[in-house]
Amino acid sequence: MDRRTVLKGLAGAGGLALTGGLSAPAIAQGAAARTLRFVPQANLANFDPIWGTQYVVRNAAAMVWDTLYGIDSSLKPQRQMVESEEVTDDGTTWTFKLRSGLKFHDGEPVLSKDVVASLTRWSARDPMGLMIKALQQELTAVDDRTFKWVLKQPFPKMLYALAKNNSPCGFIMPERIAQTDPFKQITDYVGSGPMKFVKGEWVPGAKAVFEKFADYVPRQEKASWLAGGKQMQLDRIEWIVMPDPATAAAALQNGEVDWWENPIADLVPVLKKNKNISVDIGDPLGNIGSFRMNHLFAPFNDVRARRAVLMALSQEDYMRAIVGDDTALWKPLPGFFTPETPLYSEVGGEILKGKRDFDAAKKLLAESGYSGQPVTCIVAQDQPITKAMGDVTADLLKKLGMNVDFVATDWGTVGSRRAQKTPPGQGGWNMFHTWHAGADCINPAPYTAIRANGDKAWFGWPNSPGTEKEVASWFEAKSLDEEKAAIGRLNKAALDDVVYAPTGFFLSYTAWRKNVSGVTKGPLPFFWGVSKSA
Amino acid sequence: MLSYILRRIVATLPVMAIVALFVFSLLYIAPGDPAVVIAGDQASPEDVERIRQSLGLDRPFLVQFGSWVWRILHGDLGTSIFTNLPVSAMIGQRLGPTLSLMIVTLLLTVVVAVPLGVVAAWKAGSLIDRVIMGFAVFGFSLPVFVVGYMLAYIFALELEWLPVQGYTPLSSGFWPWLENLILPAVALGCVYIALVARITRAAMLEVLQQDYIRTAKAKGLGQGGILFIHALKNAAVPIVTVIGIGIALLIGGAVVTESVFAIPGLGRLTIDAILRRDYPVIQGIVLLFSFVYVLVNLMIDVVYTLVDPRIRY
Repeated sequence: MDRRTVLKGLAGAGGLALTGGLSAPAIAQGAAARTLRFVPQANLANFDPIWGTQYVVRNAAAMVWDTLYGIDSSLKPQRQMVESEEVTDDGTTWTFKLRSGLKFHDGEPVLSKDVVASLTRWSARDPMGLMIKALQQELTAVDDRTFKWVLKQPFPKMLYALAKNNSPCGFIMPERIAQTDPFKQITDYVGSGPMKFVKGEWVPGAKAVFEKFADYVPRQEKASWLAGGKQMQLDRIEWIVMPDPATAAAALQNGEVDWWENPIADLVPVLKKNKNISVDIGDPLGNIGSFRMNHLFAPFNDVRARRAVLMALSQEDYMRAIVGDDTALWKPLPGFFTPETPLYSEVGGEILKGKRDFDAAKKLLAESGYSGQPVTCIVAQDQPITKAMGDVTADLLKKLGMNVDFVATDWGTVGSRRAQKTPPGQGGWNMFHTWHAGADCINPAPYTAIRANGDKAWFGWPNSPGTEKEVASWFEAKSLDEEKAAIGRLNKAALDDVVYAPTGFFLSYTAWRKNVSGVTKGPLPFFWGVSKSA
Repeated sequence: MLSYILRRIVATLPVMAIVALFVFSLLYIAPGDPAVVIAGDQASPEDVERIRQSLGLDRPFLVQFGSWVWRILHGDLGTSIFTNLPVSAMIGQRLGPTLSLMIVTLLLTVVVAVPLGVVAAWKAGSLIDRVIMGFAVFGFSLPVFVVGYMLAYIFALELEWLPVQGYTPLSSGFWPWLENLILPAVALGCVYIALVARITRAAMLEVLQQDYIRTAKAKGLGQGGILFIHALKNAAVPIVTVIGIGIALLIGGAVVTESVFAIPGLGRLTIDAILRRDYPVIQGIVLLFSFVYVLVNLMIDVVYTLVDPRIRY
């Protein structure tokens, strides 16, 4: 008899009268092996992938709702729910036909009217959807399996828009659900994806459960990210939210969970030592660190002040602060686009390369007219990545001779304060830090942070006509060569005007028990093809 | 006594209303906007504004507060901004784990701390007393999360006796329920065991100096009888007070403990709600906690009359 049995016996003696027995529910070994316990990157606090655009919602939604097209590992859109598509020679009329046999989780067939309602809701919230909507003449169901999207002028990136993996994705919902106001949250989570959401077991902030959808009709091709045959090997997936990384690490080591999406760098060495755990890079597209300067107010309303920061900025300092000394986890990034993707460019990136020139930076800063006024740097202390970057920036600016007003706060406050266009002394700000998923920085379509259209741009409101011109060039490009050329020019223009300061490219790990197989690298955790042995 | 209890319960209503108004005002003026968090990074200011309108956050302070009070009076705690679930249902989901943790911690505290305090007082000045008080100082000084990590490392990772995280409802069986609560209860209980043991010792020391104890000893009464029947009952008022205060303090301690051991209780819900500015959830929890505080104080007063017949209301 081992000690745990003794403990159970002792506790059982006390509790026998209360419970009438000791036994825990017996889980058959086969069933246990078909249940995967997964620790996601964050809490699934809501479950409407159009209403809320957090990555964690998108990741869960990718199991429950299918898309018309799916992006594959070569970053190309592939047919998913669609069987075929046709586009007229003038590029204005797209006709799509759905695959046969598609069903929602409530047993109803997927019809064109569901697609029309879903795309209407999606296009009211998604940046690319809004672009299509602005060109839209009509979006109609032709018959149960065919629908037509007629535009006033061509939109060459149509299939990419329908396949893209950045939030909000073009998820297809039943018409009755998709008719919900896009600014109100849905409460019915019926989709046609390979897993069903078990609403009754949802404990927001703690647990979310998904069960295999027996009637899902996967494509016949091999799965590749969001494309191909989404073959589920698992019957049940339990998402267990763990706010404390040390607890998640211990639970993985203990076998209480099977897969931890994003272990923090500090704990990776411990996990690597465990013979029962596999650790590998989770998302090869990684992340791009960023600190944004407010272009509306001094000192960063002067491009010389922004360039002075770039001259002095050491990406290595930022990266080591974020991921530690594991040099395999980061690389310098003299540009804005994700390394090792087709459009990656270093054109115009000289300012971020080579030895850091503080003397030249100080001179340029003085030329900008900076005279010691406070620079308000808002830093979310509850996010380790932004906290680390904020500390490095404060040190950098002090070395440059700037007067830093370091506002240590939480992400909720940064999220609302960064939207303030008032001067820094009246509730506004001069800079904040964040990071962008590499998957969102592969081209300008999902890349909100690179836009520089003044008032309509992302926080910091950069105004760079040169950058905007090249964004338009990319959208109009008809070949990969044209796209690459446009991106090169865009990269240079954005660096010249310092739309924002890239602090480097970094990767993070994912970790799973060795009895789990089929884990693939990608911008989100893909559960199809994943299996678990006892 | 019954009229006293009723009067006290009625008196809680304005207290809760004032607390609610205070918390509501505090949140209203605090920086942070749930609409921004919901809208995400891709959203335009117009998107954020539309979400704010759909949630009613654009309405004036008094309108929002009035509408909340009106709902409360009708037994409706409102709906979470983030989950779109009724606040009462969310609190209901989380009540079980927190209550379980508090009950086990409290039992552990009483069972361990009171005898330790009694023994320390009986053996005052001896090595046993010093050892017990040394442990008490140690337990009192260690933060909950440090004890939690140490316990998890030793008992979950190294010895593999107990799970490191999670919660199983009592309906799944007594052992699965208790198994998940032992480590967090010990971690959370350390401070309270130390506190209650020290208070018990001090109260007992005072009582043990009394004439009637000397008389009892002179009459040849047994050691156990003197300590646990005569002395402990007369030392009970401060002990009951500190245990009662401990119940209220446990709510705060549960926040850390629930995070360390990934227990889906009210503590974690509170933190999540505050970080997201999920106002209706925060308000619901504050109301509940206020009620618990008032109720605990009431219970302490009632218990006083049971342990000390001289006290009457």
